[in-house]
Amino acid sequence: MNYEKEKRYIIPFDDVPSPRAEMPEITVDERRGNFVEVETGFPEDMAQTEAKRCLSCRRCLGCALCWAECKPEAINFDIPDEDLDLEFDEVVITRGQENTFQAFNTDLGYGSYADVITDLQFERMLSPTGPTDGIVVSPLDGEVPARLAIVQGNADGDEEHLLSSLVLGVNEAIIALDRTEGLEVSLISPVCQSFKDQFLADAQKVAGLNIIEGAPETAEKKKDGDSLTLTFSENGNSREENFDMVVALTKPEVSSEIKSLSRKLEQDII
Amino acid sequence: MCTGRVDPALVAEAFKKGLDGLLVVGCYFGDCHYITGNHQAKAKLDMTRRLFKHIGMNEERLAFRQCSSGEASVFVKVVSEFDEKIRSLGPLGGDSDPVKAPEIFEKIEAAQAVLASEKIRWVIGKRTPFLESGNMYGEIFTEHEFNRAIDMIIVEEMEVQEILAGLKAGSRSIKDLSNDLSIPSERVFRYVTALKRKGMVALDKVAGRSPIFQLVRQEV
Amino acid sequence: MEEKKVLIVGGGLEGVGAALEKAEEGAKVTIVEKFPTLGAERIPRDRLIKPDDAFINPDLDKVRNDDNVSILTYSDIKKINKDNGKVQAHILKRSLRVDNSKCNDCKACIKVCPVNMFDDFDEGFSFRTAVDYFNPATGEYNIFKEDMPVCQRTCPVNLDIRTYAGQIADGKYLESLATIRDRLPLPGSIGRVCPHPCETACNRQYLDEPISICFLKRFVADVELEKEIEPVYETPEKKFSEKIAIIGAGPSGLTCAYDLARLGYEDITIYEALPVPGGYLWVGIPEYRLPKKLLQREVDLIANMGIDIQYNKRVGKDISFDDLRKDNDAVFIGAGCHRGLKLRVPGEDEYEGKGIVDCVTFLRDQALGNPIEVKGKLIVIGGGNAAIDSARVGWRMGFDEVYILYRRTKKEMPANPWEIDAAEHEGVIMQYLAAPIEILGKDGKVAGMKCIKMELGEPDASGRRRPVPIEGSEYVIDAETIVPAISQGADLEFLGEDHGFEINRWNTFDIDEETGATNVPGMFAGGDVVTGPNIAIQAVAAGKKAASGIHEYLRNK
Repeated sequence: MNYEKEKRYIIPFDDVPSPRAEMPEITVDERRGNFVEVETGFPEDMAQTEAKRCLSCRRCLGCALCWAECKPEAINFDIPDEDLDLEFDEVVITRGQENTFQAFNTDLGYGSYADVITDLQFERMLSPTGPTDGIVVSPLDGEVPARLAIVQGNADGDEEHLLSSLVLGVNEAIIALDRTEGLEVSLISPVCQSFKDQFLADAQKVAGLNIIEGAPETAEKKKDGDSLTLTFSENGNSREENFDMVVALTKPEVSSEIKSLSRKLEQDII
Repeated sequence: MCTGRVDPALVAEAFKKGLDGLLVVGCYFGDCHYITGNHQAKAKLDMTRRLFKHIGMNEERLAFRQCSSGEASVFVKVVSEFDEKIRSLGPLGGDSDPVKAPEIFEKIEAAQAVLASEKIRWVIGKRTPFLESGNMYGEIFTEHEFNRAIDMIIVEEMEVQEILAGLKAGSRSIKDLSNDLSIPSERVFRYVTALKRKGMVALDKVAGRSPIFQLVRQEV
Repeated sequence: MEEKKVLIVGGGLEGVGAALEKAEEGAKVTIVEKFPTLGAERIPRDRLIKPDDAFINPDLDKVRNDDNVSILTYSDIKKINKDNGKVQAHILKRSLRVDNSKCNDCKACIKVCPVNMFDDFDEGFSFRTAVDYFNPATGEYNIFKEDMPVCQRTCPVNLDIRTYAGQIADGKYLESLATIRDRLPLPGSIGRVCPHPCETACNRQYLDEPISICFLKRFVADVELEKEIEPVYETPEKKFSEKIAIIGAGPSGLTCAYDLARLGYEDITIYEALPVPGGYLWVGIPEYRLPKKLLQREVDLIANMGIDIQYNKRVGKDISFDDLRKDNDAVFIGAGCHRGLKLRVPGEDEYEGKGIVDCVTFLRDQALGNPIEVKGKLIVIGGGNAAIDSARVGWRMGFDEVYILYRRTKKEMPANPWEIDAAEHEGVIMQYLAAPIEILGKDGKVAGMKCIKMELGEPDASGRRRPVPIEGSEYVIDAETIVPAISQGADLEFLGEDHGFEINRWNTFDIDEETGATNVPGMFAGGDVVTGPNIAIQAVAAGKKAASGIHEYLRNK
């Protein structure tokens, strides 16, 4: 079992030797006409340095400090795992809690810039039980943003995806605008016809929300400390604008475990 | 006093008061009256040296040496060598330390808080069981892994203690904390939200565009 | 009538909703969720909201208090089967290690826990500690402990990489080697040839580059060699007398024998068709990647455990499979994939053996020192490791020019990228986006090959873009030797007729993944003969599984 599904948190150690050791080899001239081993192996110092690069990943050190601190004695390392064999008449398969999503097909800076987040993260931020008590703040500097862009990731996706993620985007914008004074939200998406038919009239009534028909191209910082420069197409023209924070709408995907379960039982996911 | 009883927090206290070097001389391994006292001393002082190096102090200023009570000449040699070493390093926060005075003293103060906190004291105390009989799950650590675990606590606790010290001086925003402490703001954001989760920090108010955080008094 | 039992997979908003619905209908419901607690509130994705009714909450109180619903969180479905309308599930419920009925939410534990990690419930926004609550709405605490670090989990044999790397860092090389040998009897060989999926998974890549796990293994194996230490693989005092036959002394067969000997079996015989051990490691991996001397030494260490390796004993020819079956209590089939597949182009059959030689035969002949005519140009067709090996071997043998023809581009090549680079570096001429259409001959021998240029079209089922021929782009390369390295297949003729095994459409065995058992009792299989051509460490893992499967089978017989 592994969570921290996106990217693992790694402590920025300061004494770790960085570059990976390169395996020493004999030259090409030394190889012709014979079968001498090409890779000659790490010398000891190289192997040592390389081994010291190991981060020794471990979640829960098993130090039992929590156990020592727990006054009601609720922590118990001896509670065993349970193996259960059960029989059922019917199975219902749902996506589960793991929110997997497809990789973005454009470089929106997600993963490189802390102020580019996903709609799923934004949903948690807006939740009253979320990490910021529902206040909209930029995870880069903890400040409340003035200009927020919600952009369609995987903008070339199918209509069903575009429609549901757009509705989510508009809903998130509605909450964010309600909570945050003086916020401006730009929503950039190839607004598809069914969204227009069903929701556009309502969405346009939301004060402070600016819906732009287009698709995002890149999000980048011209230099460190700058705000995000978003390049996007609008009616076929390329435009640039600066934002304090960018929310990218994701395309949901079913986790591989659930997928294989659904295949195995020949049953759809609801 | 047994060297095993030398408290790393006191070591930091001494440096905070302006000491330029500290030499701890203990018995040889195998000669300890309490069996493992000198092993514990070495583990604790090694850890303290790692922490000192991390905060930008020349870690040579703290040394652990061994000598028996009958070896007067060895003792003299050890002490004179150390004396010479410290003289060559000059005063704390000078040329031989990467971080200079007076900033180094703020760092040492935070380091003292780290050394006084349960996390590092508990884990360093687990060194022998972790390396020999295993942790709560019976998994045995290599020395490398144990050092990694200690480094992990050092790196994170230093930043956390600096943030807590910053908030103790007055409520402020993540951006200001980041500027004052020169810790990247996204890391301050993570630590502050984590501290909030632990009930140690709370949101005070939102001033303009800046949410201001304050310390929550902890019951002792 | 008995109550209907319903399994709900997933404890998110939908799962909780479905569970309540089914419970309402009177069914007994079980929710299985991978995460430690049930789901979070969500923003609707199908309608526009008002700011004050923003979130839909799963009815956690109701579902937790419903007597007809049992909740298995932090649980995995390990095995599931549908049979006669009933579904049998084996579920592992992980321990939370916190008795939440006693917990008073004082947060003392999370204040002191030294381990910070990304919090998945908040989509990686903030930190949680190793002991912490997951969903603030349920407030249930758990201790998050990984079963294994990601490298170990990815490794087919679950090598304890964290420990052996740490031991190298500590300077304890022989202890490190012992750690490796606990699960892998061929550290020096695998440490040279493994394409190391562990390194692809290594968390260090998020910081800079993954650590060089594979070569570290080789390093400690080499230390033992340099120091001329001759280790003895220990076997236990308690012995079992059952007779076990193993077909094939390749990585899966050797590992199976090694593990069985370590369990205490003393009557193990390996039947090997070739005069040499190692299977594909000997006759498929060239000497410049894996010196035979080293492989021989590692095989000898295994053989010294009291395992009888009979060379030049081809099952189906020198000894019949039926006899093996009759005379042994259990048989492990690790025969590998030693038949090179054909190109299926005109001229191929006509010049078979007259300049056309498949890569398996080509590499085997070189490895065994059989005569190969080295003259003129060599063309290798294919993009896998066997193709690269054949080309690099040909280049070393002294062919004037060596070509590799591959129908897609370098990016799609299945061979290890570092092997492709090495081949290019040595001067092998790569022709990407080209495919053979006819073998040309002269005077009863191969004289060249007619090829056609390709371009990449739409992605196929595997997600790779399908190569399409460009009309009119045919060209000819002169060549004296042509080595097809398309793929390899298993040769199952040795089983004879009416063998009773379930053989699938890829001409490999269908086995139980946990135990390696075939449908015939007492007969086990593993390695390439089950998976098709695959990496060596995968075969080692199959040998291990079969060894424990055989042990379980013999002890419960």
